[in-house]
Amino acid sequence: MDGSRTLSQEMQEIDAVISRYKGKHGELLGILEESQILNEHKFLSEDALNHVALRTGVPLSRVYNVVTFYSFFNLKPQGKHTITVCRGTACHTKGSRTLLDDLGLILNCKKELDEGESFFTTPDNQFTITTVACFGQCALAPVIAIDGIIYSNVTASKLQMLVRRISKVRKIHENH
Amino acid sequence: MNTTMVNIKINGDNHQASQNATILDACKRAGIKVPTLCYMEDVSKNASCAVCVVEVKGAKSLLRSCTACVYEGMEIVTNSARIRDARKTSVELLLANHPKDCLSCLRNQNCELQSLAADLGVKEDRYVRTKKIQKCDTSSISIHRDPNKCILCGRCIAVCQNVQTVSAIGISGRGIKSKISTYMEKGLGNVACTYCGQCALVCPTGAIVERDDTDNVFEEISNPDKYVIVQTAPAIRVGIGEAMGMGPGSLVTGQMVAGLRKLGFKKIFDTQFTADLTILEEGYELIDRIKNKGKLPMITSCSPGWIKFAEHFFPDLLGHLSSCKSPQQMFGTVAKTYYAAKMGIDPRKIVVVSVMPCTAKKYEARRPEMMGAFDYWKDKRAWSSEDTFYDVDYVLTTRELARMFKETGIRFSSLPSEEFDSPLGESTGAAVIFGATGGVMEAALRTAYEVITGSPLANINFTAVRGMDGIKEAEVDLNGMKVKVAVAHTLKNARTLMEQIEKGESPYAFIEVMTCPGGCLGGGGQPIPTTMEIRKKRAESIYAEDANKPLRKSHENPNVAALYSEFLKEPLGEMSHHLLHTSYQQRGLFVWKTNGKEKKELKAPIHV
Repeated sequence: MDGSRTLSQEMQEIDAVISRYKGKHGELLGILEESQILNEHKFLSEDALNHVALRTGVPLSRVYNVVTFYSFFNLKPQGKHTITVCRGTACHTKGSRTLLDDLGLILNCKKELDEGESFFTTPDNQFTITTVACFGQCALAPVIAIDGIIYSNVTASKLQMLVRRISKVRKIHENH
Repeated sequence: MNTTMVNIKINGDNHQASQNATILDACKRAGIKVPTLCYMEDVSKNASCAVCVVEVKGAKSLLRSCTACVYEGMEIVTNSARIRDARKTSVELLLANHPKDCLSCLRNQNCELQSLAADLGVKEDRYVRTKKIQKCDTSSISIHRDPNKCILCGRCIAVCQNVQTVSAIGISGRGIKSKISTYMEKGLGNVACTYCGQCALVCPTGAIVERDDTDNVFEEISNPDKYVIVQTAPAIRVGIGEAMGMGPGSLVTGQMVAGLRKLGFKKIFDTQFTADLTILEEGYELIDRIKNKGKLPMITSCSPGWIKFAEHFFPDLLGHLSSCKSPQQMFGTVAKTYYAAKMGIDPRKIVVVSVMPCTAKKYEARRPEMMGAFDYWKDKRAWSSEDTFYDVDYVLTTRELARMFKETGIRFSSLPSEEFDSPLGESTGAAVIFGATGGVMEAALRTAYEVITGSPLANINFTAVRGMDGIKEAEVDLNGMKVKVAVAHTLKNARTLMEQIEKGESPYAFIEVMTCPGGCLGGGGQPIPTTMEIRKKRAESIYAEDANKPLRKSHENPNVAALYSEFLKEPLGEMSHHLLHTSYQQRGLFVWKTNGKEKKELKAPIHV
């Protein structure tokens, strides 16, 4: 675990990325992408964005425009686990909206989801909930993905079981 | 530029157009009107609004005339049922998310969206709203933004990025969540924005407007305990007429004075008085720097947007800025010291209102160091911190003054011509031209030449520094000493000269910088529209006023001479140093950090 890494260390790493991209076509996107990956919580902090703008000479407003345009970039810390609910047509007709609502209840973030946020991270940084338009697994609808593994024909009880399993595994890890 | 002409047909008639012309240019040349919205000459054409569409024979869909170019044999139709329908639909879709509060909008009756909707015959509210209500940005002391009124035409971004190279705003998000944003939604007051107001000047709607101070000023005027005086910048006399429905560049000095008197100001004074004063202080500062090997080039400090720009983007070069306060601030200080003492008025009761072509002046007046008069009096009268006052209390833009005239029912065009009050209303031609790019330079040269050489100037018109070129240069012979000077307007051109200084390659001794295109006459507080054509007309009036003045050199202003003999003693003297000169702050880019605390001034929308 890299929790002891300081801010200045992260900035030094970003500097290395910037010097690697210097003069290359589309450098800003590359720099931002790598800077996000090297962050512990897979997001671009304000400090990181300030740093990138200062070192590259790109105006702050443009850096902000780029990171808000591409859904790949995260401006908030990402949870340890990502749960992606498919909101495509097939999954929708098979009840994916209810699954999303259930997740909101289980993880205590129903309010945010109700307000139309399609992206939310729990305050304890354990779970990030996102949606996609389609996984291409419509025959198995509704589908969700947890940390990249797709689960099919998900029901409310199956969802609850999956989430509980992750939390339990986490607890066991923490106890050891 | 290729000038080869091509033959085209517009609405069945034969026309010629130059090969690289857009369809819009070709139509304009042929005298055919094509409505536009996001397009703005010299500023922006990003083809986002789809209002300027035309039919071209052989093209699958309608073409946007602002970007599509003509070719030999092109057949264009600018008016058909299909086109009218498409244009109207485009505007109706924009109106779906636009608040319908025109009656209480600052841009009521001066709004391109409003008049376009009328022109295109929009009769009903056909589409439902799809966007959420967004918060307004009132974090800046000069400019307010209401994203709900924004139609995402992108003009403000274009002017901020390309004309001013400031990039304080940009489009964030994607799709329906797209909006004009400052970095991390911090608001204009918390990012490196110069408050120049060019964004407000190009905004087709009321999404970006000046902070309105008219109610505050009305209140002060009606307060019998207050002695409310007004100063007017040079560019107002060539702008306010336009805002009151007269032709572009109308020179209305006398009517403006009469109108201000009718509004109820106790004394009508002129910022030009302190413009003359600025020339003396700045002229002597330049001579001092040249003689004593001070930091050169020296750069003018009249334009508050430019000052803020330098503080944000060139914090290591602030030593090049003249330490002179701007004429607006000098006026405030002089009015609340010299004038207050001369007239025996308690300076705490004097309210100085300035009318400026500028939104950044609102900010300049609230800079914490702009309390020269209070500092002057506080020891003499043993005042406490409860008595504090700024040198300038309120700053109105030309547009706000027009609003006040209208609200008071003043019939501006039929007003008689009246004179400024004495003594702070006296000015020379050199002060008038402060309103145009190159004017401060010319005024300074008129005085510097005569002070240094001791002989009168043969030709006082330095035409090399006049005109709308981005950067102008001249060389003057001051008693055998050759001095190179430069004049820049727009911050993009200022940046070019600053980068030269940064590299140690600047050949100049003296540089004038004005933030806005054309100088103050094209300022962010001037009437809308302000195009290059209109700027040129205002400049003509400015130079005409200069030519008509009996005195045309700042050092000949008798009341400025009296101010020195009675009060200040000498230019650059001890008293001037305290009252008329100032200092600057290294601000850098990360304003929200240096602001001390992050201001949370993003308030709820005005309308819900």
